[in-house]
Amino acid sequence: MNLDLDPTQTLLRDTVREYLAAEVPFDRVRRCERQERWDEALWRDIVRQGWLGLPFPESLGGAGGGLVEAGLLVEELARRAAVVPIAEALAAALAAVQSAPAESARALVQGLLGGDALVVPAVLERSDVLGDVRSPVRDGRLSGEKLFVDYGQFASHHLVAAREHDAPGLYRVELAGARIRSAALRTIGRTPSARVRYEDVPAEHVGGADALAALLATARILSAVQCLGSAQQALDMTVAYAKVREQFGRPIGSFQAVQHHAANMASRVASTRFLVYEALHALDRGNASPRQIAFAKASASRMVPEVTMLAHQIHGGNGMIEENDLYFFTLRGKERSLAWGSAEECLAEAAACVEEPQQWLC
Amino acid sequence: MDFEWEQEYRDFRAEVRHFIEDWRTPELLEEYARTYGADGPLLRQFRDALAARGWMRMCWPESDGGQGRNLLYQFIFVEEMEYWGMPYGNLTYTSIAPSIQRFGSDDQKRRYLPGILRGDSVFALGYSEPNAGTDLASLRTRAVRVGDEWVINGQKIWTSLADVATHIWLAARTDPDVPKHQGISVFVVPTTSPGLTIRPLHAMYGGHTNETFYDDVRVPHADLIGGVNRGWPIIMHALNHERVGLAATGSLARLFDLLLGHLAERRRDRLDDPRVRQRLAELQLELLEQRALAIQNAWIISRGGTPIAEASMAKVAATELRTRIANTAMDLLGRYGALSRENGELAPAEGRMEWSYRIAPIFRFGGGTNEIMRDIIAAAGLGLPR
Repeated sequence: MNLDLDPTQTLLRDTVREYLAAEVPFDRVRRCERQERWDEALWRDIVRQGWLGLPFPESLGGAGGGLVEAGLLVEELARRAAVVPIAEALAAALAAVQSAPAESARALVQGLLGGDALVVPAVLERSDVLGDVRSPVRDGRLSGEKLFVDYGQFASHHLVAAREHDAPGLYRVELAGARIRSAALRTIGRTPSARVRYEDVPAEHVGGADALAALLATARILSAVQCLGSAQQALDMTVAYAKVREQFGRPIGSFQAVQHHAANMASRVASTRFLVYEALHALDRGNASPRQIAFAKASASRMVPEVTMLAHQIHGGNGMIEENDLYFFTLRGKERSLAWGSAEECLAEAAACVEEPQQWLC
Repeated sequence: MDFEWEQEYRDFRAEVRHFIEDWRTPELLEEYARTYGADGPLLRQFRDALAARGWMRMCWPESDGGQGRNLLYQFIFVEEMEYWGMPYGNLTYTSIAPSIQRFGSDDQKRRYLPGILRGDSVFALGYSEPNAGTDLASLRTRAVRVGDEWVINGQKIWTSLADVATHIWLAARTDPDVPKHQGISVFVVPTTSPGLTIRPLHAMYGGHTNETFYDDVRVPHADLIGGVNRGWPIIMHALNHERVGLAATGSLARLFDLLLGHLAERRRDRLDDPRVRQRLAELQLELLEQRALAIQNAWIISRGGTPIAEASMAKVAATELRTRIANTAMDLLGRYGALSRENGELAPAEGRMEWSYRIAPIFRFGGGTNEIMRDIIAAAGLGLPR
C-alpha cells in the first residue's frame, strides 16, 4: 500500500500542470467554446510530448505506465478545461488493446501516438441506455444512428458499438469518404459532441462484448477523473478567492459559515479522489469489479455538483460571469457527471447487486 | 501509488478474525453490553488474551514493549473489532495509553502502562466542565500546590465510566494568571481519592455518564503528567488519538450488514423494491467514501505524518454517516424499526438500529464537535484565515 504519488507520478503531474498553465490560458478555452471547435493545436502538442503513450505497453510504442498515470494526465487537462478528446481517445485505444487482434491494436495505438488518427467511441443510441446496442453490421458494413459522440465531428475514426448476428461488439469506422451525416449537439459542457448517422459504411471488427465492456469501464472511470478535476479546480479557486475577497472588513474565508462550506467541499473531493484513483489502480491490475467502477463514478457524479454549487455560493456574482473561470468547471463537471453513467445509472447498477458481499473488509 | 493491501496485512486481518471467532460468545457480548465494557470476569479473560497477543501495544516502539508495527495494523484491528462488536478497549487504550507513552516520565510509564495493558486500570476523561465544553481551555477546576501534593477543587461533567474506572485523567488549572491555554496541567487521580464524588447522569441511549466533584482532592506531584502548565498539548494529542477511533468504519459497516441481512431474511418484499435497493446502494457508497477518508488518515500516520485536516474529515464523515444509517434503517424497517431489543424476536437486528439512533448524536459532538472539526479542516487543511 502506498497512497501517495511516487516521484515519477508527481513529476508527470507537475510537468503537465506547468505546461498547461504556461501554454493554455483560459481565453483559449473560451475561443474554442465560441467557435465550437476543439483545441487542435493543444492536441498536437500533447501528441508531440508523448503523453498519450503513458498507459500503453512499450511493445506498442507506449511508455509502459498505467491507468493511474493516464488518470493524472486526464485530471490535469480537466483542471484546465482543455478542449481535447483525451478521455475519448485513451478509452477507445485501451479497449482495443485489451481485445483486438495484436496487429489491429498496434495499428490503432500507433495511429493515436503518431497523431495520424483520432479514434473516438460512438456508443449511445436514442434510448440513452449504455448496454442497448442496436446498430446492425452486415457483411462488414454498418448502419445506424449514434448520439453523444464526443469530439465525433473532429475525429478520423469512430469506434462504434454495433451488433452482428445478434452479438454486440466494437467496430472501427473510417470517416473519410464514408456515407455519414453528422450534426453538432450543444451540451451544457460546451465541448464538441455529435449526433451521427452511418449509412452502410465499411466497418472493421475490433472486438466483441468484452471489448465493449472494457470501453465502458475505462470511459466511465476516466469521466469520473474529469469530474474530480473540475471539482478540485473549483475548490482551489474558491479557497484562493475566500482568502482575498473582503466583506465587513475581513476576508470572507475567515467567516465560519464560509469555512464550513469549504471544509465540506474539501472532504467530498478527498473521498472521491481516493475512490477514483483506487478504481483506476484496480482496473489496471485487472481486478476492478463493475460495481467498484460504478461506485467510483457515482461518487464523482454526486460530488461535482455539490462542490461546484458551493463554489458559486462563495463566489457570489463574480462566479457567474463568463470573465471568471469558474463556470468552465461547473458546466463541464455537470456534463461529465452524466457521461458514461450518471449517479442515477451507476447507483442503479450498484443497487442491482446490493446483496453481493462487499470486499471492503477483506 | 498502490491501493492494495500487502499479504502481511491480509494475513493479520485473518488472524484477528480467527481470534474473534474463538472468543465471540453470547455470554461475553451480554457482559459487555451490561457493563459498557468496564469490567467482568469474561471481559477480563478476553483482555488477558488480547494482552497476550500484544495487539493493544503493537504500534508502540519495541523499546517500550511494543511490536513497532505501523498504524495500518491498528486500523485493521479496530475495524475488525468494531465490526464484530468486540470489547477491544476504550479510550484508556486508544487515547490515554499513547499519551502516557508520549508525555509520561519513565516512572509514570512503569506505574500505569502495565495495568492499562492488563485491563486492570480503566481511565475516565476529566476534561469538560459545565461552563467549559467546546471551549475546553476555559476550564476552572483548580489545582494548587501544597508541598509535594496538589489540592484539587472543582467540578467536571461527562466523566463517562468514572463510576467503574480506577483513575480519572484530569485537566485542571494550575496557573490562573497566564493565557488560558498555558495554565493547564494533567493529573492522574485515583477514583478512590477522598473528596471525590461521582453522580450519574442517565442518558437517552440507556447508559449513563457522570458528574464528578472535587473537594480538596489531594494528588502527589508524581502523578502530574508532562510538567506543570504543559497540559494543553497533551489534551490535544489525546483528542487526536480519540478521533482516529471515532472515525472507524467497522461498526458502521456492521450496522449496514445487519440491516441488509434483516431485510433479506424477514422483509424480502421491501428488499425487492428498487427504491429500497437504491437507498441501500447510496449508503454503501457513503460507507466507501467514509472509509476512504479513514484509510487516508491511517496511511498518513503510518508513514510518520500528522493528519490534522484528514483526521477531522474522517471524524465528521463517520459520525454523520452513523446518523444517516440509523435513520434510513429505521425508515426502511417501518414501525418495527422503533422496537428496542427488550422486544426480543420482534425487534429487527436485536434493536441495534433503534439504539444506534439514540446514541448517534454523541459521536457528532463528542471528541470535538463537528463544527470545530470543520474549522480545523478550513484552517489547517485549506489555510483559510482566522
